[in-house]
Amino acid sequence: MHSPSKEIFAKYTDPETFARIQDFETVTQMWERSRKEFASDVAIEDNGEKYTYAKLDQDMAAFRTVLREHTEGEQVRVGIYSPNCYDFVKAYMAVVTLGYTAVILPAQLPAPAVFGCCMKFGIRTLVYSPALADNLSVVAAQAPHVARIDITSGSDTATEAVACTGKTPCVIMFTGGTTGQSKGALLSNEAVMQGTVNGCYGYREVFRQRYLLVLPMSHVFGLIRNLMTSLYTGSSLYICRNNKDMFRDIAVFKPNILVVVPALVEMALALSGKFGRNMLGEDLKTIICGAAPVSPYLVTECARYGITLLPGYGLTESANLVSGNPESLTHTDSVGMLFPNQEYRIENGELWLKGRNMMTGYIGEDEDPYTDGWFRTGDLVRIDEDGYMYITGRIKELIILSNGENISPAVLEARFDELPFVAASQVFEDIAEGGQHILALEIVPREAGVAAIQAEDKHAYMMAELNRVNSEQQGHERVSRIEIRTSDFERTPSMKIVRYKKCN
Amino acid sequence: MQLTRSEIVEELKKILITSDEKNRALVERCTEDWELTTDFGFTSIGILYIVIAVEETFGIRFENVSMSDFRTLGNVVDYIEEKLQ
Repeated sequence: MHSPSKEIFAKYTDPETFARIQDFETVTQMWERSRKEFASDVAIEDNGEKYTYAKLDQDMAAFRTVLREHTEGEQVRVGIYSPNCYDFVKAYMAVVTLGYTAVILPAQLPAPAVFGCCMKFGIRTLVYSPALADNLSVVAAQAPHVARIDITSGSDTATEAVACTGKTPCVIMFTGGTTGQSKGALLSNEAVMQGTVNGCYGYREVFRQRYLLVLPMSHVFGLIRNLMTSLYTGSSLYICRNNKDMFRDIAVFKPNILVVVPALVEMALALSGKFGRNMLGEDLKTIICGAAPVSPYLVTECARYGITLLPGYGLTESANLVSGNPESLTHTDSVGMLFPNQEYRIENGELWLKGRNMMTGYIGEDEDPYTDGWFRTGDLVRIDEDGYMYITGRIKELIILSNGENISPAVLEARFDELPFVAASQVFEDIAEGGQHILALEIVPREAGVAAIQAEDKHAYMMAELNRVNSEQQGHERVSRIEIRTSDFERTPSMKIVRYKKCN
Repeated sequence: MQLTRSEIVEELKKILITSDEKNRALVERCTEDWELTTDFGFTSIGILYIVIAVEETFGIRFENVSMSDFRTLGNVVDYIEEKLQ
């Protein structure tokens, strides 16, 4: 068992700045400092408007009044269903500074899933963006007891923030978990604050920075490392509403720090090469990169543009980053050193974690994710003599796409297996003719099911049905190629399907 | 910018190749009826690259549409042609 110290990161920041990186128990306590110390600084820029810390504080207080008018009691769960925008920030901060729990619903959820989440997570109040109002139909019809609040609402009356403790539930975030099945991970105030502070280690300029937000705030990397660390450090956060406008936004806002997935860095470098100019802007000095494996190529290529790319590693269950790599040029394939206030051990190569940053548990699930108080990450790692960690594999069979999304083959296969003519199926990562990594599906037809098909062209009918099911999946879960096999899959002695490993 | 349809197709092919050099062989023999996701296997990030590169190259903006609205390569060419008129 090992307990990392924060002092190992001291040399990467000047002493005065490093001394300002302090732990807070709750989001309310953190906000109390930020709203006073940075009152006149711009906190958020969105859709052509600038909002100072004082203005955000005022709008949060007004929105707390709106929340109080619709809810009573303690530890209320409030759903937030909105794309990235200023009102999202205002609503989220208002919820958690009231001591309530924010349940962040991804903006792409369809109407039935919004209703399902309200039921599963015990949401009593749902704050929604008017842009998504059409998706509330099922909630309105099936769960009229759930109060619905337009996220743009305000009040002339201010309501004070509420003191709570580090153990008070703060936010429920969706995660693929270590098995890929979508779950809600409950993070306490102290977990969120530890994740927030972890974002301050390992680089020189920490406070009063200029951040650009391109990640969805329904992902911990967007909510905690991007939004929360920005608010903690008195920085300005520019909300990019459409990723296709990212480089126009960079030219206007001139961020000096970016929090992104590696695929976006790869794209930016490719575009810079094509158009012969640095698309990331001359002001950008630091990129925090994670949520998927970071290629050493990205580290060295960014350095050519004078940008320090810092890979990190984290989980939703750990309130985002648990490690960061401040010396990526000399340890290019490492996810860095583990952050403080946590303990780790390595069992049979697997990383186990415990600490104040770890989630309280999964909501609505029977499984206990802890073994004797330790969270088993499912990631195989090694740590070198300098304390740098390297991810060497995954215990489970999750497919991690280049954009950081996790795909569980078993979950997807179950949906195709519901078709009566499918006897067996396999979803796997494959390499297309052009070399791209894609998701592919192969099925083995069931004779009886095929015989029952009335259509003249049975093959065309089956393909149409498979394509229909495929089109009903979320965008990142859709397979790019479907094949109907004429023979069974290779099987193990116990008749389990032997999984393809075409990309390993 | 005045470009013929075949010139637009050629520019678009250059973008597809630079989006991922591994696409070269595929792009060189593709036709306008090829489907973006199934025939090329573009990921969401790959498609984002293409959108940004098309906007920069042709000096146009995709407005009220996304690449998911385009099924084939020809659909993209149609849109660019219309915006350039």
